[in-house]
Amino acid sequence: MQDNITKLFKAIADPTRRDIFHALVIATSALSITQISNQFEMSRQGVTKHIKILKDAGLVQMEEQGRNRFCFADPKPLKEVNKWMQFYAQFWDDSLGNLESYLDKKNV
Amino acid sequence: MSTTITKEKVFNHPIDQIWNAITKAEEISTWFIQADFKAEKGYNYTFSSEPNEKGCTTISGTVKEANPYTLVYTWIVADTKVETTVTWKLEAIGNTTKLYLEHSGIENYAGDTAIAMFESFNGGWDNCIEGLTAYLK
Repeated sequence: MQDNITKLFKAIADPTRRDIFHALVIATSALSITQISNQFEMSRQGVTKHIKILKDAGLVQMEEQGRNRFCFADPKPLKEVNKWMQFYAQFWDDSLGNLESYLDKKNV
Repeated sequence: MSTTITKEKVFNHPIDQIWNAITKAEEISTWFIQADFKAEKGYNYTFSSEPNEKGCTTISGTVKEANPYTLVYTWIVADTKVETTVTWKLEAIGNTTKLYLEHSGIENYAGDTAIAMFESFNGGWDNCIEGLTAYLK
């Protein structure tokens, strides 16, 4: 799972990949590599590279139709980012509680 | 969805006592996490716990600011390369001290739109974070 979250952060750290992902999120149907490369004025190779990283992170899924490969967004893994927020909110509450007990004990 | 966590807490302790608790390695190690830390700008600190098989137990970063009573450092968990920022600010109010804590930076790594769309998703806890919690408890 640590690998997964690392891949996820790697995938969304790049602005171009965020844009591609966003395009896939708002697209009404799956997009082919060719469609994406036209939209982003990028080589098919470049798109394929980005898609692979998004796919490794679980953010994009592929479907083969004949000779074409179609990509669609799967934003579920992003819930991990939300988990991160929840985790740290709790973490800091606990830590500040610990700090208070520590200071109280010191003063006894 | 806000991507910055902020906490405020008022302590019935003098400001310098709290400043020491959050800046001195020995004290940080007592109430927070085992720390190799110096409150000096540019110092690369490490917060670590006992090693485990998951290895997701080290937090590291660089001190960006350390002047009474503001402390800022980057916060990177294990090898995630996600650089977030933790800011501590203290303010004396009468006999009490107000502590202001901010943890920001997660927004650098994610498109807000997509996150906002899916913030209501529920799911399993990430193992890495679980390991971290267990250690930090």
